[in-house]
Amino acid sequence: MDFAYTTEQENLRQEVQAFISENVTEEIRTEIEQFGSRQNRGSLTSGLYKKISDMGWIGISWPKEYGGQGGSRIDQYIVEEEFSRIGVQVGGAGSGAPAILAAGTEEQKKYFLPGMISGDISFALGFTEPQGGADLAGLQCRAVRDGDDFVINGQKMYTTAAHYATHVYLMARTDPDAPKHKGISIFLIPMDTPGITVRPLWTIQNEPKAPHKTTYGDDRTNETFFENVRIPASAMLGEENQGWYVGAMGLNLDRVGASRYLLSVRRDEDIINWTKENSLGNYQLTDDPSVTDRLADLWIDGQVCRLMTLRSMSMVERGETFTYEGSAEKIWAPEHGVRTTESVSQMLGLYGQLLNGSEDNIEDGVFAHNLMGAFQSGINHGSVQVMKDQVSRRGLGLPRG
Amino acid sequence: MDPCIVCGTEIDLDAARSTTGQTTHGADEVDPNAGTRSFYNGEWYYFCGLQCRNNFLAAPANYVS
Repeated sequence: MDFAYTTEQENLRQEVQAFISENVTEEIRTEIEQFGSRQNRGSLTSGLYKKISDMGWIGISWPKEYGGQGGSRIDQYIVEEEFSRIGVQVGGAGSGAPAILAAGTEEQKKYFLPGMISGDISFALGFTEPQGGADLAGLQCRAVRDGDDFVINGQKMYTTAAHYATHVYLMARTDPDAPKHKGISIFLIPMDTPGITVRPLWTIQNEPKAPHKTTYGDDRTNETFFENVRIPASAMLGEENQGWYVGAMGLNLDRVGASRYLLSVRRDEDIINWTKENSLGNYQLTDDPSVTDRLADLWIDGQVCRLMTLRSMSMVERGETFTYEGSAEKIWAPEHGVRTTESVSQMLGLYGQLLNGSEDNIEDGVFAHNLMGAFQSGINHGSVQVMKDQVSRRGLGLPRG
Repeated sequence: MDPCIVCGTEIDLDAARSTTGQTTHGADEVDPNAGTRSFYNGEWYYFCGLQCRNNFLAAPANYVS
């Protein structure tokens, strides 16, 4: 067993690092600070993304006929890791791409995947509803067939990207009489379809605004309403009434990626670097064994997920059956985030809890905003509790809890 | 004006429905301060805010037959 990268992979990493040195100017870094790391980009960052796309570094592992490189997941991970360090996400986490690749028609793959690589197409996820919480299968949003069309009525909560996405990846009930998991279908719908309305929901990170380096620092999410939204039947992803299985498979594959692990690493690296370079008055944190021991614990904890992430990617690459591994990562990453942010809060004391704009805050309050943001990451994209149920049943063979 | 089905507060439905702008890719946006709504059993219901909607969704039978 060899955990080392190959020479080609190390060369790719150096190539990406050289690209970043050459192309990511101070102006672009300032714009990234302004817009944050997600797909809601300014013009300079959009230009950078285009260059990254032209290098063939977006969707490396996707098939060539859909704009990818037919390359390896590990190569993709290396690219994601390097760009994550400057706050640019290139991994397509939460993009819906795995489900489109697995269940889409040829026409859907040829339309959506190249557009996602170029940055011209992006998705908001329309899964959660206000009454459902983590019980996704209890959704009420209806899609009723009308000739060659479907007419959709309902609403979705926490459609975070809805105000800048081009499309929504929507789960709706197509058979209200079927058992709740069996009457659901998925639709890929342009956001400018008549009848779609977006209502902003401001988050805890909005007032004051979380600084850029905050992980899970989105200041806005949305609820999105669908009122008599008419779409062609060809907008359906996968077969009618099979949406639960398509969606679950897509979410599971979507969790195989570096983004959550890398966000955790950024949080860990930020506090480690800060303690090396700063002190709290006369108190030098790195002189305190309780601090250095805790930082070592966090770093070791991080390496566990790194290996879990790489293992998952290797399994997908080899075409092995992949059932619970993404869920295990989705448990680890948010729980590690909470451990990190709580530890940082204890290390920095009251100064570490001052938010952006407060006098005497530390690093624009990033550690305090991280603390506030860490908890929601255990809920979105499949709650930790649901993930634990999947690991216990599918991974350990235990009965349903 | 119609009453919020939960607390009775008057809601300006025209304001709740009216578009205040558009998203980057063309969906209508509405004013978050003008109330919200929910689709339940084939009908849209309007509420003065999220708290009343949450109360409704927790026990809709208390408010509609």
